Amino acid sequence: MSTEAIAAEKPKRNYNALFGLTLLALLVLLWVILSVATSSFASANNISNLLRQGSMIAILAVGQTFVIITGGIDLSVGAVVGFSTVIAAMLINAGVPVFAAILITLLVGVAIGLFHGFGIVKMGLPPFIITLATLTSLRGIGLLMTNGNSISINNDAFQEFSRNSFVGVPNLFWMVILVGIPAYIFLHHSRWGRYLFSVGSNAEASRLSGVNVQRTIYMAYTLSGLCAAFVGVLLASRIGIGNPTQAEGWELQAIASSVIGGTSLFGAVGSVHGPLLGAFILATINNGANLLNVNAFWQRIITGVLIIVIVYFDGLRRRGK
Amino acid sequence: MTSTAQELHPHPTLEPGRTILELNGLEKRYPGTHALKPVHLAFKAGEIHAIVGENGAGKSTLIKLLTGVMPRTSGEVVWEGKPAALATPHEAMALGINAVHQEVVLCRHLTVAANMFLGEEESRFGILQQRAMVKDAQKIIDDLGFDLPAHVVLGDLTIGQQQLIAAARATVRGTKFLIFDEPTAYLTRKEADQLFTLIRRLKGEGVTIIYISHRMEEVFELADRVSVLRDGTLVGTRNIAETNEPELVKLMINRSIEQIYHKEHFTLGAAIVETKNLSGKGFENVSLTVRAGEIVGLYGLIGAGRSEFVTTLYGRHKKSAGQILWQGKEVQVNSEHDAIRLGMALAPESRRDQGLCLNLPVGTNLNLPIYKRISSNLLISGAKEKAEADRQIADLRIKTPTRHALASSLSGGNQQKIVIGKWLAHGAKLFIFDEPTVGVDVGTKAEIYRLFSVLLSKGAGIILISSYLPEVYELADTLHVFRRGKLVATHGFRTADHEEILTQALAEKQEKKGGQT
Repeated sequence: MSTEAIAAEKPKRNYNALFGLTLLALLVLLWVILSVATSSFASANNISNLLRQGSMIAILAVGQTFVIITGGIDLSVGAVVGFSTVIAAMLINAGVPVFAAILITLLVGVAIGLFHGFGIVKMGLPPFIITLATLTSLRGIGLLMTNGNSISINNDAFQEFSRNSFVGVPNLFWMVILVGIPAYIFLHHSRWGRYLFSVGSNAEASRLSGVNVQRTIYMAYTLSGLCAAFVGVLLASRIGIGNPTQAEGWELQAIASSVIGGTSLFGAVGSVHGPLLGAFILATINNGANLLNVNAFWQRIITGVLIIVIVYFDGLRRRGK
Repeated sequence: MTSTAQELHPHPTLEPGRTILELNGLEKRYPGTHALKPVHLAFKAGEIHAIVGENGAGKSTLIKLLTGVMPRTSGEVVWEGKPAALATPHEAMALGINAVHQEVVLCRHLTVAANMFLGEEESRFGILQQRAMVKDAQKIIDDLGFDLPAHVVLGDLTIGQQQLIAAARATVRGTKFLIFDEPTAYLTRKEADQLFTLIRRLKGEGVTIIYISHRMEEVFELADRVSVLRDGTLVGTRNIAETNEPELVKLMINRSIEQIYHKEHFTLGAAIVETKNLSGKGFENVSLTVRAGEIVGLYGLIGAGRSEFVTTLYGRHKKSAGQILWQGKEVQVNSEHDAIRLGMALAPESRRDQGLCLNLPVGTNLNLPIYKRISSNLLISGAKEKAEADRQIADLRIKTPTRHALASSLSGGNQQKIVIGKWLAHGAKLFIFDEPTVGVDVGTKAEIYRLFSVLLSKGAGIILISSYLPEVYELADTLHVFRRGKLVATHGFRTADHEEILTQALAEKQEKKGGQT
């Protein structure tokens, strides 16, 4: 049996890194093709645009991945983004200093995540249900707070942040790096990250090994809520309004990015770099399709096909064929 | 398609004694390993043929080839005189080859009847004939002498009962050749007896049986012939009347039987843990002490309250009354976390459900209890993580290519070494082993018992739960017998005989079952 294991093991080693490289190759390939096929893709302007488009989904996908690794799902992230734009807009318009407004918005995201943890751990609700409930009710609360109107943010400095660049790279993309590096260290090199995997693999075995399973679940949803609130701040800055109906369907894009990036919906398999690449692959496809004048409806179909193809091949590799 | 009770009695086309299945050089290679070296073996119609061997000896590979789960590399299989490809499970089933696996592979959420007829449902005009199926299933179950209802959800039965249903299911499909893979691993003695009755009855009806087990006494109780596999090679086939246990063990492991139960006696030290009238869900009024250097065996039938007692001690469940004293001081153990902090370690009964993170690497599994120690602040020290894992792998002789291999890729025995081994580095004082050798081969058993000695020599105490009497009998310094949630008797090392202990473990009115050993 153990010799069998040796044979089966070899292709699995450094599997994550290999898969990451494949995704990177796919992304580069898309860029090369689009650069040749269109005159405008390779322009500095378009690349900046692409990075801005992909950044927010990428950050959502990182938080989502933490949750999926524990074997859960967070359907609420799109709604949290929309809700956070409202919170941020209201606070800023009320004269709260921008940094304090951002901090409070992030805390709201944390609170929503804690609530999800409470529902799962204490009330025994399935993650799908509790986050679905939040998805619909947060949009409702946001609409009540705004009476269904958009709130224009009257603070130019706040809005300029998302439009500006630093050493030629859009600030929004810097935010991906700001989130991505600590997230990577957290997931792959910290005790808590390791516990996310162990809980997703076998919660009972983890509990019996002294892992605080409840705290681990709280943490995963809290981080997802925090990432979503952060994206809400960035979105408010980018569009200059607070509107609870923004970011419709972003939770699905985040899940798609995560899954394309090699995360297993059964838990215990995932990384940080995978979902980031996944998000930018999706953004590239949308951007390229626009430049090629492909009907916007087709973009959704292409995304769907891509999910099937990538996850299928990923499954083949995983089974060691 | 209607199954009737007639199909319960398949009619093999061959008279007993003729060759039903012949393996001519059956062979299986995986990339880089030779799992089954060419096997030549003929099975006679109507015989019970036991196959024994250590984990990894090739038994599972052989079953997978015979049931069409995997294609063979080379060789020929002759079924009733004609070559058979056995390329798919469907083909094997169509020929009449079926298997009952060690872990029940049925749908836990469906009823017993639905499971019995799964894939061959009775229907009329596309509508399931649910009531008819329950009736027929009940008839089959009653006919087999199992006292089980057909209308209940399978998951509500015990694992042992589910196993009986799996066996019953395998008999209703015109089966001529039935493979049992460690069927009694999770059965009580009574359930095992029911299963044996079923097996003998199938034999009487001309069904050929392959019986795979680690339990020698079962092999001698049931089989007509026995074949021994070692390292993928068929090392011998014997008529059961012409062999004995020492010879089989020697064939299997090249080692004598005395070397397996390796009991060292240590001077007993101070009490590590003491319970006073501890009660909880499933047990009451249990008082016992575990001292340094001592193995305390808990023997009883499954459901006698032993597992409930230790999980309560371990903080998994709340106690309802009584005290726990840890090194002389009363303590409250409200969670596993508390227990681990005190210095307890639990290797649970079901390694798949409770013991291992199967799709994580061996190294992560080994280090899971000690990540706090090998991290500074929150960051894991890669060097310490590697050193700890590699040391455990070497010390425990875990057969794995590297610490990065997934736990699921190891054999059962090696997985069990991980479950036990992860506590060694943790430095616990009290080790609780709940059925540590279920489904583990003789060689690995011997290694696990040797680990016990290592732990004891370091001043730890052990609670050993086992439903396998020879194991607790040969190893425990103090042996407590549980029955229906109560501690009913206590013995010293080998101070009572098997008969007496068995009688105490069974309810008085129940008939005494001999032959457990």
